[in-house]
Parts: sequence; structure tokens; C-alpha cells
Amino acid sequence: MKDYRIPVGLLLSSLLPLLLMPLMAIFLFAGKGGPTHFLQALGSPDAQFALRFSLLIAFATSLINAVLGTFAAYVLSKYRFPGREALLVVVNLPVAIPTVVVGTSLILLWGPIGLLGKYLDPMGIRPMFAPAGVLLAHLFVTFPYMLGAVKPVLDEQEGGYEEAAYTMGASPWQTFRFVLLPTLRGGLLSGTLLTFAHSLGEFGATVMVSGNLRLRTQTAPLFIFAQFEAGNIEVANAVASVLAVISFLLFFGLLRFAGKER
Amino acid sequence: MSIILKNLCKNYQGLPVVNRINLEIQDGELFVLLGGSGSGKSTILRMIAGLTDPDGGRIELRGRDVTHLAPQLRDTGFVFQNYSIFRHMTVAENIEFGLRVRNVAPEQRRKRSEELMDLVELAGLGERYPSQLSGGQLQRVALARALAYEPAVLLLDEPFGALDVKIRGQLRRSLKEIQRRLGVTSILVTHDQEEGFELGDRIGVLERGNLLEVGTPDQLYHRPSSQFVATFVGGGNVLVGELCPEGVKLGSRVVPCPPNTAMPGHLGGARVRLLARAENVEVREEASLLEGHSLGSGQVAEATFTGSGQRLRLNLPELDGVRCISPAPAYGQEHPQLEAWVASRPEGRPFQVGQQVAVGLLHYHLLERTGLRSLILVDFVQESRVALDFGLRVSEATGAPATLLSIAGVNEREADVTARLAELHGSLLERAPNLKMCVRRGGLSEEVLREVREGRHELVVIGEDEGPSVTRLGPWAQRLLAKSEVPVLLVQQDRPKISRIMICSAAGEPGKGDVWLGGRVAKRAGASVSVCHAVSETAEPDHKARVRNHLAGAINSLHAMGVEARPRLLDMGSDGSVAQTLLQEMEEGNYDLIVMGMPSKTALATRLVRASSRPFLFVPMT
Repeated sequence: MKDYRIPVGLLLSSLLPLLLMPLMAIFLFAGKGGPTHFLQALGSPDAQFALRFSLLIAFATSLINAVLGTFAAYVLSKYRFPGREALLVVVNLPVAIPTVVVGTSLILLWGPIGLLGKYLDPMGIRPMFAPAGVLLAHLFVTFPYMLGAVKPVLDEQEGGYEEAAYTMGASPWQTFRFVLLPTLRGGLLSGTLLTFAHSLGEFGATVMVSGNLRLRTQTAPLFIFAQFEAGNIEVANAVASVLAVISFLLFFGLLRFAGKER
Repeated sequence: MSIILKNLCKNYQGLPVVNRINLEIQDGELFVLLGGSGSGKSTILRMIAGLTDPDGGRIELRGRDVTHLAPQLRDTGFVFQNYSIFRHMTVAENIEFGLRVRNVAPEQRRKRSEELMDLVELAGLGERYPSQLSGGQLQRVALARALAYEPAVLLLDEPFGALDVKIRGQLRRSLKEIQRRLGVTSILVTHDQEEGFELGDRIGVLERGNLLEVGTPDQLYHRPSSQFVATFVGGGNVLVGELCPEGVKLGSRVVPCPPNTAMPGHLGGARVRLLARAENVEVREEASLLEGHSLGSGQVAEATFTGSGQRLRLNLPELDGVRCISPAPAYGQEHPQLEAWVASRPEGRPFQVGQQVAVGLLHYHLLERTGLRSLILVDFVQESRVALDFGLRVSEATGAPATLLSIAGVNEREADVTARLAELHGSLLERAPNLKMCVRRGGLSEEVLREVREGRHELVVIGEDEGPSVTRLGPWAQRLLAKSEVPVLLVQQDRPKISRIMICSAAGEPGKGDVWLGGRVAKRAGASVSVCHAVSETAEPDHKARVRNHLAGAINSLHAMGVEARPRLLDMGSDGSVAQTLLQEMEEGNYDLIVMGMPSKTALATRLVRASSRPFLFVPMT
């Protein structure tokens, strides 16, 4: 075996300040004031709301994008139509666009003086600076993850599975339910987990469209930022560590699942 | 009747990939569709299964019209080349799938899948996942899965294509046995003729979307009708011989017409293609030992020992002048060559390269005389329909399929030309149901010649009715005439009926091709023929006698074909030219078609064409 000590040592020492130490820092700081302080910080109504709201939005985003993303992947994978290439680029664009820009564009569309918003405003429908706006932003930002996880699986099948199922008498629904869906299981799960994790941590677009209203549109990341700015570092850290734990759990779940699929 | 296809068509980008297929398959039959890539064989299978929509025609399965039915409702079993076995299901679950979607109870499904696993020799592997099986095993699963719900027909699309040779052999035997035992009507698509022979009760040979021939393996091997089938199915020798009263003339040798060949012996000089399979070529040390019809002595050019026999290539000087279609002559080859296969003789010495041998034919078969497959050039720029009308009439008269050809020039969009041609083609189908179409892009004469070769057309029809007469037979048409290996028909003005034909034998060497082709058209059209030759007044008596002889020979041949014919020895006068004399005769005889040898120099042709608006048929000299 080749001597690995030097390259691995170099890698670890460079990663230590970049990745590993920041992760440790959260937990070290969160525990600094002792468990009482930690629980007290978490127990405040604002913190409670922010965490619950974040989880709720992440859950809704995952659900909607799971369906929408799968549908998009199906259409883009199984049909050849004019403009397909362009559409493929567009649906993947959210990965590349800065989230703050996403927030801005949503406000310009749905805001009180936005392209659509100005017609909705007189009817009393104001999606921006409201929970609906947060959801819209998260759907936008996380859309490519589901698509990216499901489409390659569908691409690989090249229609052979469906045609085989059809000739055996399976209806389109039966084919989807018994043949396509089971092969998509891995992609669906990893796509959903990725979407959930990203939604949970989303900051840039959320801060623009939510107005950062406490007890109304404030997600956990926004809460952390607000508390940090106000100097309540321990409160911020408590919520941050909870977020980090949830993210870790999701991530390890994903890893385990991916290992099993293989 | 389990499967009936009527006029089944499929076009791809305006071009037919499946062209009016008619086929009836009996109950319990294993039918093989044999063809190369792009022959349309898989498309036909997919249309039967409902995976591809036909553009025309009708599909019946067990008396039920399923042409536009969804694949789910057709009750077919389909085996794909790439297996398409569901990876996330076990073998048993895969096999049970068709029953599961039919809501069959689990116990019954289990029972049936076990039966089938026994049948395909996979007993005990029901709980395995596909990733744990070999390619051959996967294809067995695919077969069991397609048979589980007892489909009306079983369709197999190159099922053994992805497997290695040894496994392929095993699977073929299993398939044949299973198909026999269950009696399920099946169609198998393959490009492998050996596979077709081994499996098929009957075989249909496809070429470029056309079903050329249907027959038992034995028929197609020993008695094919067409040259394509003769050479595609099995190797062997295809020679072009000449019909004579005693039989078929091959160089200096004559072999009798095989019994029950519907080949009128009186078609003197007509060319026929003779097929002799390699194993039916007899090779002996001495001529006295020959049992078949002798082709004289030959020399062994190549000898390959294959265990069970010896594969030989023989040089046959006595066949000099005979065209060999197969085996294709090698460059620089001095004499025609035949392929022979002789069984191993344990006691005798194998044949050696260079050895002198006596060669004979034990069995042979004459291929069917084809009608004149004509290629009609449709020119949308000139909006000319004369070529079209006349060409269709000629193709009707010779009883052969015609093809419309349009060439897209540099300024035209191919799609536009295709669309216009398709419209025209559609409007003519009622009149000529076998009409095909084809669009090419590039230079006129080059593309016409290329299409003639690729589509194996036997006559080109071009039209020129517009424009001043001095531009007729312009540069491209002259290039075509100079290079064409098939007759070219030039139409300038329509003639409603072909009742008088003039064959000019003055243009060049007195040919037989022009007489024979003119006679063939005359026979079909019921026309009378004048065979003309212009002779100058001052010609020597010897020459005149030769010409008379030649004319008499032509008249004899035409009479033998059952065509009314008369000789015309035209006197050029003291100062007349050949062209003038011929033109005068054309006017006097009011001929509907002028047949002449393809001129080596196009000057005479150009002059005639520019002075007369009658249709001209130029026949290449061979």
C-alpha cells in the first residue's frame, strides 16, 4: 500500500479550518451557557415559531416539488418537443441564480406594485411578505433538486420499460405505479431530502420576500440572523445548533439510503 | 388466420420505411421477418404490437381489427432485444406482471409463473433479481413473461441479437420447442438468415420497407424469385445467361432450362439470371465423371478446407463473356469464377489450387424475369406532367412498379419538395398502387444515376416539354444518357396510346437490347414494331446483305415474342443523312415511341430529339 500519511495529513489540515472547526464551533458555543440557557433560548415563542415555520415550509416545499419535479422530469425525459432544450436550461437555472436575485424577482412579480401583484392587491391578495411568499421563494430555489434526482433515472429507461408493460396489458397508471415509481424510489427520496434540507437553510430569497416579520414570516435562518445582529449570540446559537442537527440527520439518512440502494 | 396485414404503411420524414405490406400468418405458425438494418422489419413488429402508429393499412389479430387499438388491448406478447426486464422485480414478479395487471389471484399467478419457469428452464430462480442473471437467462425470463398471460400472438424483436453465438444456438432450440408445444402464433424479426432458416416455418424477406418474397426456407433457398433474395439468403452463384431454343446459354456452353420453369424458350437472346448454390456446383477430376450439366474445364483458384467439406473458387474460361452477379468479380480477374462446395472425401485427395478440374451444375434455378422497374423523374420547376403520364403508362405496360423521384436543387428545401411529391404520390396511388416515391438532393444526373443503382431501377423516365426545342436534351440529360447503365425514356409530348413502335438500329452497332426491350414494350402494349435501318444508296452489297440479315434476325425474335413486326430498310438517298432519313420515317409512320441504342456520341440523339417531339427510348449497348 502506498504511504498515505502525508497527502491525507495535508488534506485534513486544510479542511480543519475550512469545514470541521466551524461545525464544531456551533455546538461549543451553543453549550457554553449550560443546558438551562440553551433550553430557555429555544423555548422563547419567537424561536419556537421560527423553527416550526421553517419545518412547515420545508415540508410543504418538498411535497409540492416532489410531485412537480417528478412530473417535469417525466415530461422532459419522455417527450421530444420543440423548445425542450431551452426548457431544460430554464428549469435548472435556479441553481445558478443568486437567491437574493430570486427574491427580488418574486417581489417584482407578486409584490403590491409587481407585474401580477398589482392586479391581486385590490382583491386583498398579497402573497409577498406573507407565508405564501416564503413558500413561493422556496419552491423556486429548490426546484432543480427533485428534477436532478429523478430525471437521470427516467432517462436511463429509454422507454423500454413502459413499452414492455403496455404490451403486457398494463394501463398507463399501472405502468407508472408498478414499473416507473418503484425504479424512481431512490431518486424520489434523495430528491425530497435534498429539497427539504435546502428549504430549511434557505436565506437569501426568504429574507427578501418575507419582510422578516417575527411570528409571521420569520424562518429559523432569519431568526438566527436577527438574533445575532441584536447581540443575542447564545439564542442564535441554540437555534443554529438545532438546525445543524436536523440537517445532519437528514444527510445521514440520505447516505444510508443511498448505500442500501447500491 | 391469426395475423393479417393489409397494405401496412409507415413513413418516416416523408419517406416510406414500411411500404404496403400484405401478409397473412396462419394459426400456430412461426413466421420470420428477415431483412438487413433499415429494412423496416422491427417497425412492422412494433406496429402489430401497437407501439408505433401505422400511417396506412390495416392490422388484424385473430379476426379483430386492432389497427388503432392501444397496445394494452391487443393481447400480444413482445420480447425485446434488450430484454426490458424490470430490474426492481424478482424473476417471478416479472413473469407474473401480465397476470397482476389482469387482477389474477396471487396463488394462481404463483402457479403459472412456476409452470413457465419450468418451461423456459429457469426452475428455482424465481426469487432472484435480474442483476443476478446472465443475458441468456434474462431473455428466457422475457420469453416466459411474454407468454404468461397466453397472448394471441408472440412477437420477438431480434431476441438473440445481444447474446453470444453459443447461447444463441441453445435459445433458438428452446424457443422452437416451446413455440411448437404451445402452438402460439409468432413473428420473429432477425437479420440473421441462419436463424431464420432454423426457426421459420415461413420466411418473409424485407428490403427497404418492401416485402420481396414469402416462402418456406426451402423455397427461398432453392427457388427464389428475385436476385436480392437469391443473394441475401445464402451464398452461391448468380450468372447472367441468354435464353436460346436449347435452354440457357452460358458463354460457350448451353444448359437446359430446368423442368417446370415457366420460361418461354422462344425469347431468343433474352437474358436470364441463373442461380446455382455452391453445393450444387459439381467438381470432378475428369469430365467423364460429371453427373450434372458440364460447364467445361476449370482451374481451382482458391481452396479452403472447412472440415465437413472444401470451399472452392473456380476459374472457368469457357464462361468468358458471362456476367457474374455473384460472386462479384474481383478487380483484374481474368475469367468468370464460380463458388463451389464439395463434401469432404476421406479417401480421396482434396482439390489443390491450380488443379485442372471438370465443372458441372447439378441443380440450378432461373430467377424470375422482372418487369421494368421504372424511375420517373418529377420536376416541379417545369411543372411537367408528360414524363409522369407516359412513364406510368409504360410501367403499367411492362407490369412493374414505378418510383417517383424528385431532386431538390440548391435553392429548394428538401422538406418542401418531399411534401409536394408526397401529395402527387398520394393522388396517383389509386391508379398505380405500387407506386413509390423518393427525394434526393444534389446534381440532377448524378443523383438520378445514384438512385438507379441504389434502388435497382431498370428504366429512367425523364420529360422535357417546355422551352424551345433547341435546348432539349441539355447538358445534364446528355450526361445521363452517356453514363446510364439502364434505358432512358425521354418524353417530350404525350402520346395517348402506344400502338406503333419504331426501333432504329442505325444509330450504332445493331444491338439486341433495343430490339428486345422494344419488343417487350410492344408485347405488353399490343403495339406493332418497325425495325428500321438507314443505308446509303452507295453502300456495298455486302453491307446491305448484313443489314438485311440483321433485320431478319430482329423480326424473327420479335415474332417469337408474339409481336407484330416488319423490317424497314431505309434508303438514305445519295446525299441524305442518317438523321434526316430517320426523321422522315418517324413522320411517315407516325410512331408513338422511338427505340434506339444509347448513342456513344449523343450528337445524333440530340439532333433527332430536337427535331421531333416523339418519345424516345434509349437502350444501352451491352
